[in-house]
Amino acid sequence: MPTALMLASEGGGITVNGPLVVVDNLFGIPGLKLTESIIVQWIVIAILLVVVLILTRNMKVVPETKRQVAAEWIVSFFVDTVDTTMGKKYHRYRCYIMALFCFIMIQNLMGLLGLRNPTADVSVTGTLAIITFCLVQFNRGKTGKFKGYMKSFVEPLPFMLPFNIIGEFANPLALALRLFGNMIAGTVINALIYFALGKLAILIPAIASLYFDIFSAVMQAYIFIMLSMSYISSADCEE
Amino acid sequence: MDEMKILAEGIVLGASALGAGTAMIAGLGPGIGEGFCGGKAVEAIGRQPEASGAITRTMIIGDALAETTGLYALVIALLLLYANPLLGKLGEYLAR
Repeated sequence: MPTALMLASEGGGITVNGPLVVVDNLFGIPGLKLTESIIVQWIVIAILLVVVLILTRNMKVVPETKRQVAAEWIVSFFVDTVDTTMGKKYHRYRCYIMALFCFIMIQNLMGLLGLRNPTADVSVTGTLAIITFCLVQFNRGKTGKFKGYMKSFVEPLPFMLPFNIIGEFANPLALALRLFGNMIAGTVINALIYFALGKLAILIPAIASLYFDIFSAVMQAYIFIMLSMSYISSADCEE
Repeated sequence: MDEMKILAEGIVLGASALGAGTAMIAGLGPGIGEGFCGGKAVEAIGRQPEASGAITRTMIIGDALAETTGLYALVIALLLLYANPLLGKLGEYLAR
């Protein structure tokens, strides 16, 4: 099954490509591919690393530079968000949530540079959703131990067991498909607009791109972390 | 034989296009749901303007959840249009 789809208008027709496979059979292992998504993700990681290094250089107790004020604002925003959504008990998740948001947001914004959004690839969003799924299971096991973990599946009534198990797997699936669907929809609709307008593509694609590439990108990253946080904190056996 | 093959593929492609279009009728549900969500949020903010931050946050999550079914339909439509599994089935059938 192709992992993702992409439209590109080429001389009158629309062709459909998945993420470009740069190297096939990496290290001689059949099926192991180095795709465009991975390369773009490396670029994203490099951007994040450089930004973080610049923002955190020469920190003082009392902020002197605008750089440090900006860094403190960003950190306190995530501290507030995690505290109000998950509660103070989950302060350990602040770092993960902040990293997740920045990573997804920069990935979504990659479309502005003319690169392919890595999040328009279901493998990437699926991986991120699986991390959230693992954290949900971890949190449930940690708060309820073995007995509480098992008991949480037969609540409120024993015959709810199949529904609870399906629901457990439906959450990460919906999480992955939501991000993937939104990003691929933006990509496809933009390509369709360019194709339909042809040489007249002047103002309209810019407005569409403003919505799909900027508003939707930031919003979907925010929704992803909000839902991750509520899934993780609702898998608490103690409450 | 070749003409039969083209005809069979044409029927499968045409039916897939119809299926993709039909799948997107599912866009109705999320539209109604999100409209409800936004309307209720506006009402709530009108009643309690000081809680607008929390209401907006909850509304965004509600919107995102309401959107899910629409996105399932979108994924199915995209699969039918660009990564058609039925053509592969047809190929297997014709090869037999």
